[in-house]
Amino acid sequence: MKRKTVVAVALAAALSAGTTVALAHSGASGVVKERMNSMKSLGDAMKELTAIMRGQQDYSAERVRTLAGTVDSHGGEAMAKLFPEGSLDHPSEALPTIWTDWDRFSALAVQLSDYAAALALAADNERPAGHGSGGMMGQGQGTMQGQGMAMGAMMGGGMMGTGQGPTPEMLAQMPPDAAFMHIADTCSACHQDFRKKTN
Amino acid sequence: MGRTVLIICAAATLVCGGAVAWLTLGPTVPDRNLAGLQGDVNRGAYVARLTGCIACHTNSKNGGGVLTGGPEIPTEFGSFYAPNITPHPDDGIGAWTLADFSRALTAGIGPDGGHYFPAFPYAFYTALSDQDIVDLWAAVRSVPAVAGGPPEHGLQFPFGWHRGVGIWKRLYLEAGRPEPRPDRSPGWNRGRYLAEAAAHCGACHTPRTLLGGRDLSRKYQGGIGPGEDKIPAITPEALEREGWTADDLRYAFRTGLTPSGDSLGGSMAEVIRDGTRYWSDADIASLVEYLMDPERGE
Repeated sequence: MKRKTVVAVALAAALSAGTTVALAHSGASGVVKERMNSMKSLGDAMKELTAIMRGQQDYSAERVRTLAGTVDSHGGEAMAKLFPEGSLDHPSEALPTIWTDWDRFSALAVQLSDYAAALALAADNERPAGHGSGGMMGQGQGTMQGQGMAMGAMMGGGMMGTGQGPTPEMLAQMPPDAAFMHIADTCSACHQDFRKKTN
Repeated sequence: MGRTVLIICAAATLVCGGAVAWLTLGPTVPDRNLAGLQGDVNRGAYVARLTGCIACHTNSKNGGGVLTGGPEIPTEFGSFYAPNITPHPDDGIGAWTLADFSRALTAGIGPDGGHYFPAFPYAFYTALSDQDIVDLWAAVRSVPAVAGGPPEHGLQFPFGWHRGVGIWKRLYLEAGRPEPRPDRSPGWNRGRYLAEAAAHCGACHTPRTLLGGRDLSRKYQGGIGPGEDKIPAITPEALEREGWTADDLRYAFRTGLTPSGDSLGGSMAEVIRDGTRYWSDADIASLVEYLMDPERGE
């Protein structure tokens, strides 16, 4: 009787251990979960940064640096390694174009970290008047609106994508809002091409 | 007897043939009188940001020159490619006159008299102001002429039938400018112009019928956009349901960011990147005022 119990417990333990190992090594579903958690952390950081940049939350350079650090840590190689080829298991929102256009995808991941590092460096820089409520772009990019933009506006192919616009080094010298906008653009560029349409 | 049948058949053929010819001609859209208007390149460049010319006619992802032709626009009718509209005399629109340009925008008719497919949103541009058309023309003329262009449209049978577009126009093209609403604020009227004419929000956000016309009974209730993207509803009720405030929307048009810190994806990312981001604060505010008005009534 006692022996049977011991065997049963041992069997159950062995089974559950086996199951745990199997789960941990089940590949795709594990990595999909992991990267969805990573994206969730990114989203949370971006949500708070958005509130700060919009003036809905008091500006704190310290807090901006912390959040920028979070974004930085989830970009670059940390992000790229969460996208092993073909990992599209439900409920992944990733598109297979990630692997046909891997260079662009991984460059955007690196760019995310670079801009986040720039934001951390820029956190103490002076901010333009009228930030928040979208006003900051209105202030910061006056030349792109209406008067005085001339052909620049027709010719400028946008500020997104790799290799365009200010470098992270330049952004580090500019108001933090500029680096933040570049982070937002990077999210957008990547989601436009590599994420299923969800909104 | 035999002759009667023959005459009836002939008459029927004539009537039917006439009906087809009438239908495929499309509605008559009066030419604009643009005499005396001076185009302003700078303003036109801004209008191009309002109307989305650059987003569709430029393949920016592949490093294509401005207005030299766009990337594929996949639809359920086949693939469309916005053509080269630089001033190149052969591959662009360098040989066009202002009148040609105006007719293309407001009537969807090319210099050869043929119909354009409604993927080119002339059903909206037909309501553009005279001054905006003239300014756009000045801006389009100012970019470098570039040879080449995207491939021809690749459409599925029977949608490739150009003259069939005339029938579409008879059904769905309501030409001309709506009267301003004096009972509404100038901002509201400007917002209406932006949403209904220039920025053609309804091209994606209003569901379409089987023939590809907008189903106006379900205006702004969401639909299927390029590449079979799911397009959200933007009725005042839907926006409120999703928790959008006017301030959220203004910020999103500028930055692409939603209040949750996510970025708007798909084709809207492009609309913001190449369009609304460059709008004046006043224009963004007007658009939002119009879109969020629960008493919009149209």
